[in-house]
Amino acid sequence: MRKYSPLTIISFIFAIVFFLSPLIAASEYSFRGLNGVGHSLINYTWIIHQSGFYNNLAVSLRLAFVTVLLVMVLLVPTVVYLHLGGRKWRRVVEFFCLIPIVIPVVSLAIGAQVAMPKWLQSTSYELCFFYVIVAMPYVYRALDIGLQSIPLQTLVEASQSLGASWFTTLRRVILPAIASAMTGALFITIALTLGEYTLASLLHFRTFPTWVTNVSQENILGAVALSVATLVGAWLILLILAFIPKFKRNRKGVLAHG
Amino acid sequence: MAKDMHGSTVEFEHVTRSFGTVKALNSFSLTLNPGELVTLLGPSGCGKTTALRILAGIDRDYSGKVEIDGKSMKNVNASQRNIGMVFQAYSLFPNMTASENVQYGLRVRGVDSAKREKRADELLEMVGLSTQANRRPNQLSGGQQQRVALARALAIEPRVLLLDEPLSALDAQVRTTLRDEIRRLQTRLGITTLFVTHDQEEAMAISDRVGVMNHGNLEQIDIPGNLYNKPKSTFVAGFVGLTNRIPALVESKGEVMVLNQILEISEHSESVKKGEEVRALVRPENISVEKSSSSLASTVITKSFLGPMTRVGIDVGMDELIYAEMSSKEAKKLDTGDSVKLHIAAEAVMVESV
Ligand SMILES: Nc1ncnc2c1ncn2[C@@H]1O[C@H](COP(=O)(O)OP(=O)(O)OP(=O)(O)O)[C@@H](O)[C@H]1O
Ligand SMILES: [Mg+2]
Repeated sequence: MRKYSPLTIISFIFAIVFFLSPLIAASEYSFRGLNGVGHSLINYTWIIHQSGFYNNLAVSLRLAFVTVLLVMVLLVPTVVYLHLGGRKWRRVVEFFCLIPIVIPVVSLAIGAQVAMPKWLQSTSYELCFFYVIVAMPYVYRALDIGLQSIPLQTLVEASQSLGASWFTTLRRVILPAIASAMTGALFITIALTLGEYTLASLLHFRTFPTWVTNVSQENILGAVALSVATLVGAWLILLILAFIPKFKRNRKGVLAHG
Repeated sequence: MAKDMHGSTVEFEHVTRSFGTVKALNSFSLTLNPGELVTLLGPSGCGKTTALRILAGIDRDYSGKVEIDGKSMKNVNASQRNIGMVFQAYSLFPNMTASENVQYGLRVRGVDSAKREKRADELLEMVGLSTQANRRPNQLSGGQQQRVALARALAIEPRVLLLDEPLSALDAQVRTTLRDEIRRLQTRLGITTLFVTHDQEEAMAISDRVGVMNHGNLEQIDIPGNLYNKPKSTFVAGFVGLTNRIPALVESKGEVMVLNQILEISEHSESVKKGEEVRALVRPENISVEKSSSSLASTVITKSFLGPMTRVGIDVGMDELIYAEMSSKEAKKLDTGDSVKLHIAAEAVMVESV
């Protein structure tokens, strides 16, 4: 048994109280019944029954999907290249990938908007391109760390000397080797896209977050229920993503032995 | 896998590879005969890995000619060369099991999975890892990983096998077993092999011929015995086997004075002038040691037991000790602190300028 110092225990308890008490309070509040009397699920069902729930959720999910696709297609080959032949470009790309962090979203929205082609400005998919920019710093970091942790150059050379093309090497060797880093990047991107409010609102697009903000202004309890649900949902997704690789490994192991 | 692979001929002709101002290979020429195991031996940075990478096709930014079976490799990709390579660093694919690693080359060639698995089983058995087939690289020891890497390289029935210090990360005992195993497999399969190491004992132990490299050049290539006994340059003499470098004085055009003895200057020495202060290269086994009571005598400082032989370090009043090797039986007569007299038991010695 490891011994913990009293200070550790106290700060631990403090942290739990500090983080959990608002959560518990919020959850309790969100389960209140009609007009704050008794307990029920009514606040949770309320949001689902608002008109536009499914439509707007679908929009945001589609945007998330396209954003993930774009950011991965853009950054995975780039970062792989930076780790192989293109080492000299690393500084430059790193710099560009950091810019979105220091640029306020407002100026991004207004500045980049004019650069977008007309046909794109008329569809909500335009947001994907903004989301790609916003997600880039985090995705770049995640992938960069993932690639640093494997002997990329040697693996690529081994794969090629065994007869594999570039594409096969990427698909069968590099991507599986950085799967966990990619999962992390994926999660960040999805979370950013599903929760992004400012850009969508500034550019007058209807997405799930803007819709939620609108409807929940009429119902405080509903808004609280929604944030609790969002939090739990995010935790669930995190858990699932964390367990997928293990699950896959176990399944393979069983097959191989059977 | 009983079927014999046909060894290929490999030829490097005046291959030069520069990194900025550094010439990793400098007009490097080498021919490998079918089925031969040639080792490239040389100090760190002399271009060994570069030579392998160029032959494998991973590095194609060179001038000169590289041919396999008489065909120029100029326009042939690494993935089309059918060359098996085992790398200096661990290189197994981390997301695949040992068996999947071995199957990889066959998989990209479109071999069906039943055949692939059978071949992987055979190869893993050949390298003694049947029971570890379903382990991942991080569940294998260093030696096991390099065995899997060897099996993986052999799985594609390569025309040429390249081994880049495959044993350098392993401990002494595993090294010896594994190197003998590599040699056994290589002879059995008759596959032309280029092996790289900076361990001269390893080179001597497993090679048909050993090429000593220095500054991107092949200094000498010969059978191990000749390399040791008839080095063609002072670099080779110094690099292969332990050599004393003893200060000496050139007496006349062909003679040198070493430890008060006048000896011939052997061929392949560096050119020196009469009266020049030089260093003579003398093997420890060519120095005989006798007890002496003379006041001018030298002193035994160290004594290391090497099994059948014992190495004795002697202070003769120079900066460095002179080492002599003798049978351990003979060495029993000597103790540290003893006064001794040295005699060089050779007619000729190599000399180099200081
Ligand atoms: N990618 C590179 N960029 C710049 N210089 C390089 C590169 N690869 C090799 N070199 C240089 O080329 C020379 C030969 O390198 P090489 O890797 O062939 O040496 P080596 O004989 O394999 O050494 P070691 O025994 O340490 O593995 C070295 O001086 C090295 O610094
Ligand atoms: Mg090397």
